[in-house]
Amino acid sequence: MIWRLALGITAFAALATPGTLYLPAYPASILVFDEDKAEVVDKIPLTTGIPMGIRLSPDHKRLYITTIDHNGIEVIDVATRKVINHFVLNTPNKQYRIFSGTADPGGKFYYAVTKEITQFPEHFEVSKPKYTLIDLEQQKIVKTVEITKEEEALNQGDWGVGALEISPDGKLLYQFGDKITILQASDFKVLDHIDLARPDTAGMENIRYGGDLDLINEPGEHTAMFVSSDPIVHNHLFGLARFDLSTRRMDFNPIGPAPQGMAGLEVTPDKKTAYTVVSTGIHGTKRCEFWTFDLASDRITQKAEVPCRTRFTLGISANGKKLYIYGAGFEIEVYDAATLKYEKTWDLGTDITYAGIAVLP
Amino acid sequence: MKHMRALNKKAARIDNYVASRNEDVVAMQDHGPQRPHVPMGCALMFSPGWEVDAAGGTAGLCQPVERDIYDCFVSCYWPAQVPDHLNNATDWTAKCATATKDWRNLDIIFP
Repeated sequence: MIWRLALGITAFAALATPGTLYLPAYPASILVFDEDKAEVVDKIPLTTGIPMGIRLSPDHKRLYITTIDHNGIEVIDVATRKVINHFVLNTPNKQYRIFSGTADPGGKFYYAVTKEITQFPEHFEVSKPKYTLIDLEQQKIVKTVEITKEEEALNQGDWGVGALEISPDGKLLYQFGDKITILQASDFKVLDHIDLARPDTAGMENIRYGGDLDLINEPGEHTAMFVSSDPIVHNHLFGLARFDLSTRRMDFNPIGPAPQGMAGLEVTPDKKTAYTVVSTGIHGTKRCEFWTFDLASDRITQKAEVPCRTRFTLGISANGKKLYIYGAGFEIEVYDAATLKYEKTWDLGTDITYAGIAVLP
Repeated sequence: MKHMRALNKKAARIDNYVASRNEDVVAMQDHGPQRPHVPMGCALMFSPGWEVDAAGGTAGLCQPVERDIYDCFVSCYWPAQVPDHLNNATDWTAKCATATKDWRNLDIIFP
């Protein structure tokens, strides 16, 4: 684990300066926010509707946006900040809901879990979620595959769809949930399972699909927060795990007992420190705290109480020096990562969606 | 409790009963722990206000409540009285980027 962290220090040394946030926003745009200037410097208009998902390509050159009005996909070139491809999946009598998804390394296909809603003269029929292959060049669904009974728990729709990742060679898909399901990308055939639990969802605030730890991912690696439990007393531990998408090798780095609710885990670019917001209680008794972790020693090094928003997402700046609390509104609250003290609030002027954000240097 | 298995008929019936509780179609009030019954659906909830939280109250809502309105609209995050995004008012948010500040720009939707 330590040698991996050391590699990360070199690889992400370039991230020492403030970066750029890409924020999906209402009514239909991606805000480009400059951390240094603390202002919105560009707005990328979307033509297919409200953005509900954002994924960064493994090479950090493209953003894949899924929209909900007509269930579309838009591809943004990060360098030019232009939409280079966009289309909708809906037809006059069919609507689709796009859940978890990932683009193939070549950018030709988008693998997703979708639900099909068919309109009949007097009623709608909602299908079970299906594995779906979307051809980004043909701009349509080219294949759907029924999800087996065993995999249904990972594909309930709405919030209950495990994140999808693809191997660097584009041949294997991985779906992350209570277990890791390994699928053959060509036909979605289930090849294998690895038992490992995702963080408990009870009491957690917004969990974004996919990109929480995109920025610290090495190519071909999925880095995320996991929870494991022992088979006897089911004691839950949470930690940081890195899954090698090529070799299926897992590094699980337990940090401590899993609290009632954690708003994601954000890791600094040098991979030495991680932050989360832990919440306990609900409604009037809810209490939130920042927790700081030293990843070299796997210890909690600092805690500080933070006002609880009812719904929020935790984010981190490109250089790891600021923590962001945002979501359900038009503001980003900025905290100093070293002291965990509130600094200021940025007014975006536009409500942002709960799709999450992409942070780029 | 995966390491336990039914050894007699009565235990098997209990197993079957537990399994039947996980069927795809269940009565809404029969799912999960007992909680206030709140009708689901964006346009079905008229009391106590335009929105209630998952517990049937208002303590869990955002402050101010306008922060919630768009997420209720597109996903029924909370049961709320907002237009139907799926079919009839897809572009309801088009004239209003910030619900808390510009809510007067939101169109009134008539059924």
